[in-house]
Amino acid sequence: MRSRRLAIGAGKMLAVAAIVVWSLFPIGFIVLSSFKPGREIFAVPPELFFEPTFEHYASLWHRWPAFFDGLVNSLVITTGATALAVMASLLAGFAYSRYRGVRFLEGSVMFLIGSRLIPPIVVTLPLFPVVNRLGLNDTHLVLILLYATFFVSLGTLLMRTFIDQVPRELDEAAVLDGARPLTILVKIILPLVAPGMLAVAVFVVVFAWNEFLFAYIFTANHAKTAPLVLSEMISSIDGVDWGVLFAASTVQLLPVLVFVVLMNRFLVAGLTAGATKG
Amino acid sequence: MAFGSEASVGHRGEGAAEAAGETKRRRFAFSPAYLYATPVHLLVLGIIVLPAIFVLWLSFEASSFGQSATFVGFDNYIRVLTDPYFWGSVWNTVLVVAVAVHIELLLGLGLALLFASGLPLQRVMLVVVLAPYAISEVTAVAMWRFLFDPDVGPITLMLRYTGLPTLDWTFIPSHGLILVGLLTIWLHLPFTFIILYAARLAVPKELYEAGRTDGANAFQLFRNITLPLLAPAMLIALLFRYIFAFRLFSEVWLLTQGGPARTTEVVSVYLYQEGFRYNSFGTAAATAWMMVVISLLLATGYVWRLRKESMANAF
Repeated sequence: MRSRRLAIGAGKMLAVAAIVVWSLFPIGFIVLSSFKPGREIFAVPPELFFEPTFEHYASLWHRWPAFFDGLVNSLVITTGATALAVMASLLAGFAYSRYRGVRFLEGSVMFLIGSRLIPPIVVTLPLFPVVNRLGLNDTHLVLILLYATFFVSLGTLLMRTFIDQVPRELDEAAVLDGARPLTILVKIILPLVAPGMLAVAVFVVVFAWNEFLFAYIFTANHAKTAPLVLSEMISSIDGVDWGVLFAASTVQLLPVLVFVVLMNRFLVAGLTAGATKG
Repeated sequence: MAFGSEASVGHRGEGAAEAAGETKRRRFAFSPAYLYATPVHLLVLGIIVLPAIFVLWLSFEASSFGQSATFVGFDNYIRVLTDPYFWGSVWNTVLVVAVAVHIELLLGLGLALLFASGLPLQRVMLVVVLAPYAISEVTAVAMWRFLFDPDVGPITLMLRYTGLPTLDWTFIPSHGLILVGLLTIWLHLPFTFIILYAARLAVPKELYEAGRTDGANAFQLFRNITLPLLAPAMLIALLFRYIFAFRLFSEVWLLTQGGPARTTEVVSVYLYQEGFRYNSFGTAAATAWMMVVISLLLATGYVWRLRKESMANAF
């Protein structure tokens, strides 16, 4: 019995090690390598201990100013898309949770769920000429709208689930005090559903910060996002400068990785509720 | 119910008589709910649904830049369906999706059960499993491209050193697809895992205790309790992953651009090439609509299965 328990314990330690290697090795490898001097990046076997250097970060700064513009663009677009998606989802979630039996409203849930089935690349075809004609090509606005839109249906369903959990007695008491619906939403419901709003925000932040396809099609210079600049480094014709690419990747991934780690509770809550509710 | 307008009918499950009376009285009345729901619907309608319908129209027209559209019936569909490159891309997509998504499901299930049985540093380990969720496809491609680089990649060199076969993904199409599959699994395992883990945690402990008192062994517990109770969640995870993996674009585009000689194209890449490289909007639109229809079919299949399942449970 005791040996069996020992075996299980050892098996679990092995599993833990395997999980850590699978999940973190690629990330850790890039981050560590970005601090390795010149040729040591290619040392076999990879060296774990080395004199850290910032030379790749320095050449990133000098040779790829576009990357830092890209970071700023990504920040602007991510902030805009997240704010828009969270606000719109909160309002719609409020409508679905608190107004029952309103014509067309119930049916429109199916419409929202159905819209999630349309692959994003499908809408790029007709939107491309329209965006050009409106002069919106290569602007922050077009990506903000696109990123927010592809998460508002999930966001609405999540917000409805969270608002459903706020007891209606609270609303009713406020109505007796003469509060208007919007006041109730902002003053009473909003503070209680903040975790739900964070769950929606995590989805949009991760998506908008990392997205490639829309950025590739709808931006060229002015609104180019960080992932797009990274993709240019990968397919650079004079061969990939791995050190610089690793430095840029590290700068791009660390903020969102830290964000996800800090917000993991909300991410888990959102993923679970999002999958079961539609 | 709260806001006193006639349209707001009150809590779910109130008296049936009252509900019936309410339906009779109900005529179209303006409700503030419409205002609250407007921004979301404007976005979804304007940016997803109307453009998608426009694509349907486009798929029956022949058009390109600076050329007015003319109606061509099903010509675009016929051209796409007789294009060997299209079928190549379909085959690649089906292969990658089928293999990667199922491996992902097995890994996710294994992880979920492992976590449910208790792990050292459980909370930290959960975050470790979630980490790839934060990584961009572009960064992930940069990582895996280097790890498997044919000349300097550490994994390639390690495989070569130990005499194992390496992935020659730059010129052997199937190896390129294997790398795409690996990347896809790495990026999306967190999603599958969380769905299954949440479902596993929702299984009441008493069921396992009862099973153990009846003398069931670990395998029987898994076969007769865990598996049937996790089946709906597994189906949900599979459906979501089918639908999303089917859109696969960035990984392939950034890794191989569909090459060499268009052999690693997936459906999205084929669509992109038709529309944005060859400016053939008609065939691109036809491809796009076939993608929409297949996504819808996948979802209906799932709803149908779920119905059947709940019927079966009722007996």
